[in-house]
Amino acid sequence: MEKVAKIKEKRNVYSPFTIIMGIVLALYTVTLIVLLGWAVITGCKSQDDFYVNKYKLPTEWYWNFEYVYSQFTVTIQTKLGSRNVGMPEMYMNSILYSVGCAFAATLVPCITAYACAKYEYRFSKIVYSIVLVAMIVPFVGSLPAEVRMAQRFSLYNHIWGMWIMKANFLGMYFLVFYAGFKCQPKAYMEAATVDGAGNWRIMMQISLPLIRNLFFTVILINFITFWNDYQSPLVYLPSYPTVAYGMFKIKDTVINGMSTVPMRMTATTMMLAPVIILFALFSKRLLGNLSIGGIKG
Amino acid sequence: MPQGEIKDKKTLSLHGKKNLGFYIAIMAFPVLQFCIFYIGVNFSSLFLAFQKIDVLSGDITWTFSNFSNLFKEFSSTTLLSDTVRMSLINYLISLICGTSLGLFFSYYISKKLVGSMFYRVVLFLPSIISSIVLVTIYKFFVEEVVPAFWFDTTGKTIKGLLENFDTRFFAIAFYVVFIGFGTSVLMYSNSMSEIDPEIIEAGELDGVSGIKEFWYITLPMVFPTLKTFLIIGVAGIFTSQMELFSFYGEAAPEKLQTFGYYLYNQTESAIGVSEYPRIAALGILLTCIAVPLTFLVKYLLDKYGFSEN
Repeated sequence: MEKVAKIKEKRNVYSPFTIIMGIVLALYTVTLIVLLGWAVITGCKSQDDFYVNKYKLPTEWYWNFEYVYSQFTVTIQTKLGSRNVGMPEMYMNSILYSVGCAFAATLVPCITAYACAKYEYRFSKIVYSIVLVAMIVPFVGSLPAEVRMAQRFSLYNHIWGMWIMKANFLGMYFLVFYAGFKCQPKAYMEAATVDGAGNWRIMMQISLPLIRNLFFTVILINFITFWNDYQSPLVYLPSYPTVAYGMFKIKDTVINGMSTVPMRMTATTMMLAPVIILFALFSKRLLGNLSIGGIKG
Repeated sequence: MPQGEIKDKKTLSLHGKKNLGFYIAIMAFPVLQFCIFYIGVNFSSLFLAFQKIDVLSGDITWTFSNFSNLFKEFSSTTLLSDTVRMSLINYLISLICGTSLGLFFSYYISKKLVGSMFYRVVLFLPSIISSIVLVTIYKFFVEEVVPAFWFDTTGKTIKGLLENFDTRFFAIAFYVVFIGFGTSVLMYSNSMSEIDPEIIEAGELDGVSGIKEFWYITLPMVFPTLKTFLIIGVAGIFTSQMELFSFYGEAAPEKLQTFGYYLYNQTESAIGVSEYPRIAALGILLTCIAVPLTFLVKYLLDKYGFSEN
């Protein structure tokens, strides 16, 4: 009887529509694997090999990573003249930029959402409305004004300046945190107050630990976003090239054959590796914890 | 008034003051940051649009010339018409292909069919990979591998898909749709999995399955999420770069440029602040179109969109 019900259920689910979707998804997967696989394989070829063999396995495997790591540089202009920045420095800049910005861009919406969710002042409602309005109303072309503002406050061309600029509460994550804090029972706070706990203690030792999973997920997503971002460093951090910035600039380089396709594929693989590792380790967390209405799973 | 009640009121007021102090302390930085980098920046952008900055001295004069120059520039070249056309085409492609495929994929995943969890990961993967990395891989793939593979299979020579004038737009549009499923599929599939199974079962009893179930049950139930994406997406007409900066850097063909690319490229490649007012003026003009358009779309979706009933 159970078997019949299962067969019936499957027949309902596997319609021509879902079968076509399944095929499209399979094709999508193959395309993505082929693209990424090709990049890794090409990164292990010599330029001569690539010239005659564009998509098959290398005739001889090359380990280009060491060469790219030691040789690839980006030229930047400083007050003292031009200077070459190598991969180790680019990685350091990437780490400082992405960790700092991710922390700032997660902590500020989290704290603001906490204040709005737990303290029912009129101002909290105003802040909540501002977030909703700012998400809907688009202001276009404010980048020049933002650059000028950064210059005016001496934040321009400083990594710490970017941390301050990215520390805003606007956006979806405010709503996600807000929903998270709203879900917490009021009784916890009341009980802590009766026991003599102050506002700081309640926030740090009761409320924030309860949303630590959500906080970790958001910080992880933000880290990946900032690690991959090359357009902001290009505009705001001309003297602190990150790895993504370097990847963009690699097309201009003529140093030591670095502009060849195999070398560029090696560089892409090197930039890809940390993100793929993070994704492999935390994919469940990245895919499962967020929903527009609040916390899931 | 009894003594105890007075004491209670005093304690309460002290407690309220402490709360207020704490509230101000934690809200001070976010509010200040918002005032400077949202309100300040947008007002500054508005003022910048009416300024002329001298290249050498940095002196500022107030003028309408940024707007008149823009109109002159746009009427004497095809840049505006090309940019409007490309921005709209890009939006429509993401709307028709991207959104509908995203919804279909989410439906498949929410039904927990073969490989659905794996596909969920695969669809999210491009959104965690840097656009510059994925574009670099894709660019060389369609420029080097596709022609080589075509030659090996058919013996005929073809140009790279981005080099070929006839195929470059489709190659880029395909890429933009290809990488754009991550967050939307995640949100749609989460919303779909929250649909009450009893509603689906009731539909099945009435003989509704497959595409009909998707259209009459699933889509109306996830419409609030879809509506959010559609409303926020309107801004994409004016801000989406169609990954052109990653593909072409500062030298994208004029016929392919979108507003998002044009604005970013002009700012990034500006030699000095004297070039900013012109870009800010264009930004203000586009904002004047984007804001009412967003509210119009919201109104239309509210009035004519799907109803959960």
